[in-house]
Amino acid sequence: MQPKRVASANGGAVRRAQDDPAWVRYGLTAVALVAVGVLVVIPVVNVFAGALSEGAGVYWKNLVADPDTRSAIVLTLTVVPIALVANVVFGVTAAWAVARFSFPGRTLLVAFIDLPFSVSPVVAGLMFVLIFGLQGYFGPFLRRDGYAVMPWLVGGAVALAAVVAYFVLRPSNPRARRGFWKTPAWLVALGGAALFALLVWAQMALEVWPRHQSLKIIFATPGLVLATSFVTFPFVARELIPVMEAVGPDEELAALSLGASGWQMFWHVTVPNVKWGLVYGIILCNARAMGEFGAVYVVSGHIAGQTDTMPLRIEKLFQEYNLPGSFAVASVLTLVAIITLFAKSKLEQHLPTASSDGGTES
Amino acid sequence: MSIVVKNVSKHFGKFAAVDDVSLEVPNGALVALLGPSGSGKTTLLRIIAGLEVADSGTVLHHDEDVTEYSPRERKVGFVFQHYALFRHMTIADNIGYGLRVRGVKKPERAARVNELLKLIRLENFGSRYPSQLSGGQRQRVALARALAAKPAVLLLDEPFGALDAKVRTELRQWLRRLHEEIHVTSVFVTHDQEEAFEVADRVVVMNHGKVEQVGTPEEVFEHPANAFVMDFLGNVNVFDGKLEGGKPVITPSSAPPPPDGAHGVAQAEIYVRPHELTIEHRRNGEAAIEARVVHVNPTGSRTKVELRAVALDKTILAELTAERSAELALKAGDTVFVSARRAHVFAPSYSI
Repeated sequence: MQPKRVASANGGAVRRAQDDPAWVRYGLTAVALVAVGVLVVIPVVNVFAGALSEGAGVYWKNLVADPDTRSAIVLTLTVVPIALVANVVFGVTAAWAVARFSFPGRTLLVAFIDLPFSVSPVVAGLMFVLIFGLQGYFGPFLRRDGYAVMPWLVGGAVALAAVVAYFVLRPSNPRARRGFWKTPAWLVALGGAALFALLVWAQMALEVWPRHQSLKIIFATPGLVLATSFVTFPFVARELIPVMEAVGPDEELAALSLGASGWQMFWHVTVPNVKWGLVYGIILCNARAMGEFGAVYVVSGHIAGQTDTMPLRIEKLFQEYNLPGSFAVASVLTLVAIITLFAKSKLEQHLPTASSDGGTES
Repeated sequence: MSIVVKNVSKHFGKFAAVDDVSLEVPNGALVALLGPSGSGKTTLLRIIAGLEVADSGTVLHHDEDVTEYSPRERKVGFVFQHYALFRHMTIADNIGYGLRVRGVKKPERAARVNELLKLIRLENFGSRYPSQLSGGQRQRVALARALAAKPAVLLLDEPFGALDAKVRTELRQWLRRLHEEIHVTSVFVTHDQEEAFEVADRVVVMNHGKVEQVGTPEEVFEHPANAFVMDFLGNVNVFDGKLEGGKPVITPSSAPPPPDGAHGVAQAEIYVRPHELTIEHRRNGEAAIEARVVHVNPTGSRTKVELRAVALDKTILAELTAERSAELALKAGDTVFVSARRAHVFAPSYSI
């Protein structure tokens, strides 16, 4: 009797998860399958079923024949790429800064990148209305002669780009700068200011843009771009920062030691190393931008044929009891989502992990 | 002189990584920068390469002041500890990269790449990717990549640090032979004194951002300039003691220090290498220390003996030749008498 009891006590101590009773294993699996089925599979299938309920011909007509639906598709295809480009430029810059340098405010920057994730999209939309809307801070001015800001805006952007380009392109080693690159920072800033003044003055004198014309941001495409960019702001940077940190600066230093310029290093080494992370971020960003509803809803004003994007159009068709039409547009968005899902799972195997020393070959 | 470093300093915040270092590397030499981690050896190497900027001081390559030059203008080859191969490029593209960014045409580049693949004995690996190679192969590729553009100076940062012991030994010998073949002035960083002694013609021992000693391996090992060098280059027994008329005498650490005024007597630390100790079963001479054998470790050609000197309250390490060990037939618990054939004495100001 005695040895047997000892053995059974030992058996209990080393019992593994696989030894759980059958009903636990099958029960848990069933719960998971039912949840996925009810919450995911059935609704997705239903979207396509609803869209095609009156036949493929009607489906196609619903998508193409209605001018308002057509304009919604075109508007989404305009707004999303602009927001994507803006976020790629920002994301690469921010990820580079965060992953390669330590500077005061670095932690704060990382925290602020995540802000759009935690702010409700409706609140984000309201923020823009409060700033640029009719009753907002800049509203009355923009409405009266909004185009007067264009020279300041464009001039400022060009001057800033020139100054940033100077600091990016000059040799990073302060003792390796010669000639033009020796210009002290205050003189560069002065040059930027002079360029800015010149551009503003040129506009004033030449009137390239009509000054007294209203510039509409809210209830117009610029507002949609702003709202979409804000909401999708973190995606690219969030994907790139861990990838850049995992890859590390060694290969970039190696390129420099072999005689590459900073620009060559960026295109030959940095971009290929993070390209899968970048594509991954762009895909996620694209999916979110296409489907964005809340923030866009607030700033769009719902003008049919003008400021309706696809998600807004779906809602409007639904409210008008045009269920096949609403499902038809919804099916396009769902298709985009499914493609995104496949692309995402394909890409995940290309992303480097911190532990893989040699990395993945492409 | 191939590389001259004059009064170079580099600070990270308040920490002086390199502190007023001057150094000369003759043409075609193979020099090791040897020191513990944090001694500034890697920073100094990066300053020579131009990957790091010195706060002050000058760097000359072949009598040309390159202090203000970018790495591109310095024509150095740099080998990183973790290879830093471009993971998305083939081995051939990796090796050819230095030529590519310098605008060398494709056919010429391919010829040079083949030449180098032959040199590192990886002729058939050109179209593979770094992840398909072993650590030793990757480091050879990294070396070939650094050599492709015919650099005036080859710099290696802990080149064998990430490899396992057997591959490391092979690569050391290979690097030594390679250097005899191509004779490019080389500087490599290591914290392993055995590696430095095996590969280098000259050794630069660094500590706390300063150069402690420069010399051939034999010079720094046999005639260490100070206690740090002695201690860093291999095992050493440190005894408290005094100098009496120029002769070192070991005293227990609890003994009162000699009075300052005593003529010809000075407090000192006595450094003795394990292989410079003699072990006898019987006391012969006054200087011998009585000790008990704690552990005997026969490792082949040499037997390592751990002893405990009760009077000094100290553990002593000794190394015997295999023959001497067989003669003595020591076993744990034996009482023996230890004396030093040779001792180095440094003032006790030094502390680790």
